[in-house]
Amino acid sequence: MQTTENKGLLILFYFCIAVFSIVCLVPFVLAVSGSLSTESRIAAEGYSFWPRGFTLETYQFLFGSKAEQIVRAYSMSVLVTVLGTASAVLVTTAYAYVVSVKSFRFRNVFAFFAYFTMLFSGGTLPWYLLSTKYYHLDDKLIGLFVPYLLSVFLMFLMTNYFRSIPHEIVESAEIDGAGHLRIFFSIMIPLGRVGLVTISLFYALQFWNDFYLPLMLVTDQELYTIQYLMYNMMANIQFLASGNAAQVGGAIIAPPLETAKMAMTCLTVLPIAILYPFLQRFFVKGIIVGSVKG
Amino acid sequence: MTKKKGWFSLLLTASFLLSACSQGNNESANGGNGNAGAASPSAESGIEAGGGLAPAKLKIVLYGDESNRMKELAKTEFYDVVKEEINAEVEFQFLPWTEYAGGKTDLMLSTGEDFATYTDANYMVKSVAKGLYTDLTPYVDAAADLSSNVDEASFKAFQLDGKQYAVPVGNKPNSAEFYSVLVRQDLLEEVGMTEVTSLAQLEQFYDKAHAAHPELVGYAGVDARRMLLYDYTDKNLYWQNEFIALDEAKQDDQIISWFETEEFKNYANLMHGWYEKGIIPKYAATNTPQLQSDWNSGKAMFWAGTAARPFEGAATISQAVPDAKLVNYFLGEGRPKISRGTYSTAFFVSAAAKDPERYVMFFNLLQKNQELYDLFAYGIEGTDFTLDENGRLTKLTTDALIPDWLLMNKNFIRFDNTVPDEFIAEYKAWDEGAIISKGAGFNFDNTPVKNEETKLNGVLTEYMAPIGSGFVDYETAYPKALDRLKAAGIDKYIAEYQKQFSEWYAGQQ
Amino acid sequence: MMQEATPVKPDGRIAKTRVSKTRSFEKSLQRDGSLYLLALPGIVILILFAYLPMSGLILVFKNYNFNDGIFGSPWAGFSNFEFFFSSMEDAMRATRNTVMLNVLYMATGTFFSVAIAIILNELRSKWFVKITQSVMFFPYFISWIIIGAILFSLLDYDKGIMNQMFTALGLGQVDWYSSPWLFVIVMVLANIWKSAGYGAIIYYSVLQGIDTSFYEAARIDGASRWQIITKITVPMLIPSIILMSLLNIGGMLKGDLSMVMGVTFLNPLLLPTTDIIDVYVYRTAIRSGEFGFASAITLYQSVFGFILVLVANKLAGWYDKDSKLF
Repeated sequence: MQTTENKGLLILFYFCIAVFSIVCLVPFVLAVSGSLSTESRIAAEGYSFWPRGFTLETYQFLFGSKAEQIVRAYSMSVLVTVLGTASAVLVTTAYAYVVSVKSFRFRNVFAFFAYFTMLFSGGTLPWYLLSTKYYHLDDKLIGLFVPYLLSVFLMFLMTNYFRSIPHEIVESAEIDGAGHLRIFFSIMIPLGRVGLVTISLFYALQFWNDFYLPLMLVTDQELYTIQYLMYNMMANIQFLASGNAAQVGGAIIAPPLETAKMAMTCLTVLPIAILYPFLQRFFVKGIIVGSVKG
Repeated sequence: MTKKKGWFSLLLTASFLLSACSQGNNESANGGNGNAGAASPSAESGIEAGGGLAPAKLKIVLYGDESNRMKELAKTEFYDVVKEEINAEVEFQFLPWTEYAGGKTDLMLSTGEDFATYTDANYMVKSVAKGLYTDLTPYVDAAADLSSNVDEASFKAFQLDGKQYAVPVGNKPNSAEFYSVLVRQDLLEEVGMTEVTSLAQLEQFYDKAHAAHPELVGYAGVDARRMLLYDYTDKNLYWQNEFIALDEAKQDDQIISWFETEEFKNYANLMHGWYEKGIIPKYAATNTPQLQSDWNSGKAMFWAGTAARPFEGAATISQAVPDAKLVNYFLGEGRPKISRGTYSTAFFVSAAAKDPERYVMFFNLLQKNQELYDLFAYGIEGTDFTLDENGRLTKLTTDALIPDWLLMNKNFIRFDNTVPDEFIAEYKAWDEGAIISKGAGFNFDNTPVKNEETKLNGVLTEYMAPIGSGFVDYETAYPKALDRLKAAGIDKYIAEYQKQFSEWYAGQQ
Repeated sequence: MMQEATPVKPDGRIAKTRVSKTRSFEKSLQRDGSLYLLALPGIVILILFAYLPMSGLILVFKNYNFNDGIFGSPWAGFSNFEFFFSSMEDAMRATRNTVMLNVLYMATGTFFSVAIAIILNELRSKWFVKITQSVMFFPYFISWIIIGAILFSLLDYDKGIMNQMFTALGLGQVDWYSSPWLFVIVMVLANIWKSAGYGAIIYYSVLQGIDTSFYEAARIDGASRWQIITKITVPMLIPSIILMSLLNIGGMLKGDLSMVMGVTFLNPLLLPTTDIIDVYVYRTAIRSGEFGFASAITLYQSVFGFILVLVANKLAGWYDKDSKLF
């Protein structure tokens, strides 16, 4: 009896997840098909699951003579994502560990010190002034990830994972005379690996998706990331299509707005969507290897 | 080293020749024949290069995508020409359009970077109040060639308290912007009509075309106050901003609070009729960008017209509808076309610039003569474009250089051979009989009514815009909207505007 | 020392950990020293990119001009706040809308994220979990502009799929884009759709890190799947739910402008419910180019959020001392 009840529930669970997944997949299919449709038919008939008037025009428009630049931007994105994620995870877990140590008198001070920055910010002007004039991060590779090395949200998330590690383990290590550095590297990191994988993933997404740092700090096209390149193109296409162009001067070309939006979504999402399961495995492995060495 | 010495002697020679040569050179350049080519402007003008000018560095910010060809030219020909002409090393930086008049442009200005870019009157007034622009009045003489190719009134548009804060570029017919109806002539003829000269005819066109093609949208816009002017008022209205209009038929300094007029009521009712009838589609209230893409894909019957739209827009529509033809019509007559000035835009120099004069000299190059114009707008003849015997242009690359809308000057512009002669004739004659708005050159200082203006924008987007576009019924929605307008401080705003305008107007007489 | 005295709570954490006070002072300093070292990189980042720029908050009370710089510009008092609070009706509506939407987003978002995480935790098919988990993550990447365009093709009055379905079923057409309250539902659903997968990953990973022995024990005791979920899994997630809520509550007055712009196209007819603070500031101050006004309101949002967090943090502390953020 019990097993039939359990079975029924389980089937219901599978069903719910399957339905929700399909709902999540729909727009993506629409985006892929939209990006392969002709602009005029999308404008006239709306989106569909199958390309309307199959064409590669939009991609040709986007890539145009820019193929080389797009490839460069992809590799820049990968570089920034890898460097950024690796260093951010290190900075974040270390800070999170400090906040999670219950015996540390000032842990609340540290927690508050971090949380406060989640709420209050001084705006872009001073940030930009300091980053360019004092830290000289403009047009530098490190400028593309260093400002984001500590996400307070993810730091607290990591603290949460650390706290769920049974305290006995830590205490027995303490009795053995282990210091915080050793506990952190050889106990907390390996035991908190699920959390580590999770925040690595979130960091990777954050760095991959970011266009703000390149927008603010980069003028050198060598340093454009794919998201910024796309943001740039999108902003310009939208401007040209918005009719604001007429106020400033008047634009002559009409770019494929709708299909371009879809194509850009595909270009930025596709690589990470395909890589996601592998990334997960990669992170898990990387952490295991790292912790063995530690 | 030797190279530098050679340069120096060249400069010295140039300084002697300068005064004698430059005048004559310009004149010959203006009437320049088409095959002057790309190499020659640099060679020619090298001789007249700025005498004794110390080397300088210039950073020019432009908005939009930087094409590959632009990137190349920026490092080669553009760089060389500017170096030889005014001994400055020029660097171009491209920003996304989102950063225009705000965003990163603002940050760069506020943190004291040395650069120049283009602006509009609104952004200029705000930035000057914060001390972000250099006063260019002392350097205007450095733009002597430009001044002869750009309208005097355009300069006035970028003055505040008699000081020149930006240098206008461009000179093109742009009177009566959006006062005409841009009609799909091919559809018009398909339903057996030849022209549209009144609102009645326009609606007749819609009815007939709608019967033949029910999938088509009527008007691909949400603002028709200019084109419908002939039907709801006898005044010749010209809008200073969303809230304030002037009657150009009267020689006085009276400003009109647009949303409080009887005219607005009549206009809103006309628009509501259009909306109810389906001339303006129901989705317009939500998805305004869709209107534009409908128009571009040939799914609309008419649009607001400008002088250049018949040939600017034709290229895009013809991708979807190969035989599309666009013609401008006015729904009435007897009212002079009004112009704000013929400029395209205007360049300012950041307050922190070390050598503002050199920037002005650079702006001068943009509108100096045909050779330089061709170079900056079209590139190198033979490589980037060719000219036929009529001076018609064929581009060999689709890569944009310095945007041609920005440079567009009727003295220099070249049309490509798809544009019919009659269009060009019509275009060039567009401004005949046009008058400059009596408000042109007036720039409102909003400091005393900043709060009111900000709140009024909120009322505009929420209440007045939907009434004006006919999405809601005037009779039911207007009373509340008017209350909001009053509460936001329209009276104080109008009074302040009137005060400043009257003072300025008196000064002009 | 006192392991035997510390009861293990169902969430696998030690409820009360008193630290031996007899520890010598030198030892504490030595141990804490390495803690400072660990925190140092984070502290440097926070100071460089958050605390030093915070000096810019002073600008909110100033009339900035370039020549006088940030510190030399004349004081403006509270005048940058005036435009917002002098139209009290709008300010109240914007604040109400922001709080209302955020509460709805938080409640529904948390519910769905937790539900999905729990369900994923129950499923035994590895490949199914992997694939669905990836797929549910997709919406997170899709910008609101795209989502708005897709929603439009669903909800458009004439051509929208929904209305075509309604008409086919003999029901009337619904004018979604002029029904502000109906549209709240659309916004909430869109938000769930976009963020539930992302949130689920957080909770799912918490569940994965949990000792399976609890489940084994419960199963041996004959507990049903449903009982295990309600009695073991959910309580295990409570601390994480509290944490996430605390982290989100600070942003109670902050809204997502890009969402409203993308999904409603700033349709004026929907503003009665979608005019959140960020939207109001956008269509008034930012459209007018008054960026000083905009940053003033950001400060209002932060201060309000800060007060809320302090209160919520206290409440969380009463529930469980370890749940406090700081």
